[in-house]
Amino acid sequence: MTRAEIRAAVLAMLLWAVATVGVGWRTLHSIDHADRSREALFRAHASQGRVPSPAFPENLDAREHAALRQEERPLVVHDPHGVEIITAPVKDTEDWEIIGAVGLYSRWRERAAPVAAPAMVALLAALVLLLGARSVASAGPRAAGVGALALFGAAAAVTALQLRFAAVSLAPREAAPASLERLALPPPSLAFAALVLALLAVAGALAVAAVHWHARQAGRRARVRETIGAWLFIAPSLGHLLLFTIAPVAFLFWISVHNWDLLASDHPFVGLAHFREIAADPLFWRALRNGLVYALYVPVTMVAALAAALVLDQPLRGIKVLRVVVFLPYVASTVAIALVWQWLLHRDFGLLNAALTALHLPRVDWLGNPATALPALMLVSAWGQLGYMMVVYLAGLQAIPAALLEAARLDGADAWQRFRLVVWPMLRPVSTYLLLTGIIWSFHGFTLVYVMTEGGPSHATDVLVYRIYQTAWEFRRFDVAAAMSVVLCLLLLVLTALQWRTVKGEPADA
Amino acid sequence: MAELRLSHLSKVFAGGVVGVDDVSLAVGEGAFTALVGPSGCGKTTILRLVAGLEEPTDGSVHIGPRDVTWLPPRERDVAMVFQNYALYPHLTVRENIGFPLRVRKIAAPEVARRVRKAAELLEIDALLERKPAQLSGGQRQRAALARAIVREPALFLFDEPLSNLDAQVRAQTRAELVALHRRLGATMLYVTHDQVEAMTMAQSVAVMAKGRVLQEGAPMTLYREPASLAVARFIGSPSINTVTGRTTGTRFEGALSCDARVAAHAEAVLAVRPEHLVLGPAIDASPAIITLVEPLGPESLVRLRLRSGEDLVARVAGEAPWHVGDDVGVRVVPGEGLCFRASDGARLSARRDAP
Ligand SMILES: Nc1ncnc2c1ncn2[C@@H]1O[C@H](COP(=O)(O)OP(=O)(O)OP(=O)(O)O)[C@@H](O)[C@H]1O
Ligand SMILES: [Mg+2]
Repeated sequence: MTRAEIRAAVLAMLLWAVATVGVGWRTLHSIDHADRSREALFRAHASQGRVPSPAFPENLDAREHAALRQEERPLVVHDPHGVEIITAPVKDTEDWEIIGAVGLYSRWRERAAPVAAPAMVALLAALVLLLGARSVASAGPRAAGVGALALFGAAAAVTALQLRFAAVSLAPREAAPASLERLALPPPSLAFAALVLALLAVAGALAVAAVHWHARQAGRRARVRETIGAWLFIAPSLGHLLLFTIAPVAFLFWISVHNWDLLASDHPFVGLAHFREIAADPLFWRALRNGLVYALYVPVTMVAALAAALVLDQPLRGIKVLRVVVFLPYVASTVAIALVWQWLLHRDFGLLNAALTALHLPRVDWLGNPATALPALMLVSAWGQLGYMMVVYLAGLQAIPAALLEAARLDGADAWQRFRLVVWPMLRPVSTYLLLTGIIWSFHGFTLVYVMTEGGPSHATDVLVYRIYQTAWEFRRFDVAAAMSVVLCLLLLVLTALQWRTVKGEPADA
Repeated sequence: MAELRLSHLSKVFAGGVVGVDDVSLAVGEGAFTALVGPSGCGKTTILRLVAGLEEPTDGSVHIGPRDVTWLPPRERDVAMVFQNYALYPHLTVRENIGFPLRVRKIAAPEVARRVRKAAELLEIDALLERKPAQLSGGQRQRAALARAIVREPALFLFDEPLSNLDAQVRAQTRAELVALHRRLGATMLYVTHDQVEAMTMAQSVAVMAKGRVLQEGAPMTLYREPASLAVARFIGSPSINTVTGRTTGTRFEGALSCDARVAAHAEAVLAVRPEHLVLGPAIDASPAIITLVEPLGPESLVRLRLRSGEDLVARVAGEAPWHVGDDVGVRVVPGEGLCFRASDGARLSARRDAP
């Protein structure tokens, strides 16, 4: 065996051991949980009046007896052989006084059980892993990763199965009176165990790939050091990303398929029920449609921004001041913009209506009329985004080499041809960027709606994010809101993928 | 094809920078004229004035019979090849070459035919579907040339089109450009700061400095009969040797001495081409010490330092029989010394003023 193979094998064993301990611990924990359930069940029977005859364990001494009376909870006592016995208090019909106790079962037998029999299986699994590590260490890095993932997945599944088997097959040694019903064991929760195993399988795969990579780099120490350094450098932001972005998103997906009542202690899995609910909700579709209409302000603003950029690109006196003025709205706070525009658009005191009145036109209740509320919001968004888009276009224009435009002039192109055949195509990456990021941002739009219209009038400006906000914080339906968020997330994911494709598809400039 | 005439052309940039200063120049119909000069002397500015990318402060530009001084570029019928080629990066080579025809609304089949012809002439017909980014420097240069010739313009302008190429491709392209010129019979104005390029390609060379044309003429005329010290220094590689001294009426006396029938008794500079220095025994010659010998094969460059401190370079045929540190005597080939006035660099003597 080469050193790389040995390293991979040791790593494999280590991970497997961690997996076993982790899952084992969890299984035992779930047995404890079962203990408590048994006690609860027993108490229920007692309070219904089916009081069993008092049956103190013979060896319960005075001190233990007193503790039992005082604490009203299961107590661990020892039988003459030193075996732990769990006892539960027995109460009278009124559930008022403790009148006795029953020994439920001893811990010793059950705890020993999962360790003894599977030891053989464990050895076998270790052997498989060892052989697997060999073949993994001699494959390519990607193959190593995939192979290790399969291997650890299989090993973890074997371990989980075997422990589950051990746990379920525990026979409670009941010392309870015959009048009590035999207690059913709830199946131990395996969600956590599965999580541990999945994480370990992934970690194992990564670790083996890393070992493999390291072996391949033998003799190239600078490269190894550089790579390790690089990972260390991105570790803080990677950690931040995982903790504060990936994890919450994962949690969001989890919530969206469970019942998430803030007051309930358990959150049962409900599958796609919430998604079915929102699909049947006309308000959701309304919000989605509003969002699509609202997004139209992006291309419209882009055209205006490009025109502004073309004008402001001229080397005229005072042009810099003008550029700053156009850009200013973008750096202003959205809430401030919203409040100012609320006044500008006000039915009675607004500047816009004052102008209309001066022209002897009827006033319009811009934000109160369902027909004009969304266009009004689009206008405000366009006003706020114009400066930003203009600056991006300006940067794009200035990145076009002057020689190209001069060449076009010499080639005989007039101003319009120069724009259509040279400037516009060369701005295409900028335009795509603005369009896609603009649409993505428009779907995030919340502040304007929240401050100016609160989704009204009669849902005319109800966009998706506002719907989500309302569902979560006003209706307290976090699970349904999570489902909506998932839909929004997937929508934006598609747009982002599109954006990436176009960015990648751009040929490098000559 | 047309003749190009610049008369008293001047360009003063905003801020008072003088780019071109009272330049008059004519490029005959079908001629190939090179503009040379050190960096910043105004060569590009002249091309831009001719192309119409810049407006002159004074003077006029005529192409053929037309005064184009105030016409926009597209009405001047000139094509320009830029130093960095200025190919449109988003268009294929085919579309790049066809661009000048397309914007003139020429019918597609005609465009295709002429593009094919130009591409074949420059041997880039296999590259037509590529984008400029996928071409080598030499190929881009050909594409830019094809875009220029496809229009059959009255006048071609070149702004250092070879400076981005490596030495070998440059030498080859130089020859091809000359052949192209002959083939098209086109009028060409060619800007370069490389005097070798100018000398080898052009029928006529104009040497510029500080916005002015110092001298214009056939390459060998400039080499043999420079009108000023600046031209003498700029033309020729390695550079001409110079020593300071005085003229006595019949001779130049200084660190080197030679016959020179110059009337004035004046402070003067003697300039001698490396091939016009003769090395030999120190008798009756200026003593010098060899500082470096550079064998080039058919000839050798011998660098030496005169007793009086001036550094000279001599060109000798074949292998030089000297070594570093040897003492030699330096003489000027009779009749080959050029005298210039020390104060302003103007020429004092005609070359073969001798017999
Ligand atoms: N747009 C401009 N504004 C001000 N000065 C300019 C401008 N363009 C050129 N100049 C100046 O005019 C002078 C001539 O410039 P030009 O570009 O013609 O030089 P050149 O001979 O082409 O030099 P090179 O060989 O380096 O290309 C330089 O001093 C330059 O600084
Ligand atoms: Mg130049």
